[in-house]
Amino acid sequence: MSASRFLFVCWAALATLSVSTVLLAQSGATGVLSVAILLVAVVKAWLITDGFMEMRHAPRLWRRLLVSWALVLAVVVGVMLVVVD
Amino acid sequence: MSTSVEPGGVAPRHLPGDLAMWFFILAELSVFAILILVFAVTQALKPQLFSESRLLLNTSTGLAMTLSLLTAGLFAALAQAQVRRSRPRHGAAWLLAALFVASVYVVLKVTEYRHLLASGLGMEHNTFFTLYWILTGFHFLHVLLGMFILGWLAERCRRGLYDASNRSGFESGVLYWHMVDLIWVVLFPLVYVLG
Repeated sequence: MSASRFLFVCWAALATLSVSTVLLAQSGATGVLSVAILLVAVVKAWLITDGFMEMRHAPRLWRRLLVSWALVLAVVVGVMLVVVD
Repeated sequence: MSTSVEPGGVAPRHLPGDLAMWFFILAELSVFAILILVFAVTQALKPQLFSESRLLLNTSTGLAMTLSLLTAGLFAALAQAQVRRSRPRHGAAWLLAALFVASVYVVLKVTEYRHLLASGLGMEHNTFFTLYWILTGFHFLHVLLGMFILGWLAERCRRGLYDASNRSGFESGVLYWHMVDLIWVVLFPLVYVLG
């Protein structure tokens, strides 16, 4: 796959997931849906870091740092939502 | 730039842009992480207030802003691909396209801010809106700086100052924009959708 096509695929996935976030929110307000919305956010962050920022070719420590940023935040936000429930 | 060799490896792992930009990005992400955690903790303390206040925001506008930022990110990445092929003027064209799409975000955000202020939903309205203004306002400033950087890169590309062998500064500028996108994809569900 050419570099440009790969970037378009990343963008299409990001756009689709962004729309999915809103559709998930409109379908209800359960804990499961909230977790799904957070998971979508983590996947989007991963697409940006590995796709657009090219962390897939970066030294592992840097890649882990960037990918874990969104993952850790999503876990903490998720735990906070569970605490509320 | 920094590289390390894969154990079995053929291609060495490589960090695009300047190492200094990566430390700057880490610092920025740390600051936003603290703000996001403050938002999440406050939401846990005042869930009712946050749920009711969030209803006053337009999720469709938030989605449109997301698509605007992500599309600008795609165009900036395509500009980088052109510079790597030593076609800086093509890169400049993609950067101008990125700036145009990013300006849609700016228009939407300013319209949203004006609407909220006209409705009396300023920073002092309640805790949700205090944090909303701090988080999104701080991010908005980063978008403006990112647009300035993309414009600066476009001008340097137009003058043919970047090519395949001289692109580290260009990559650093584009990385800054991707960081702005990265922060937004976490902010968007947190502020506009969840709860």
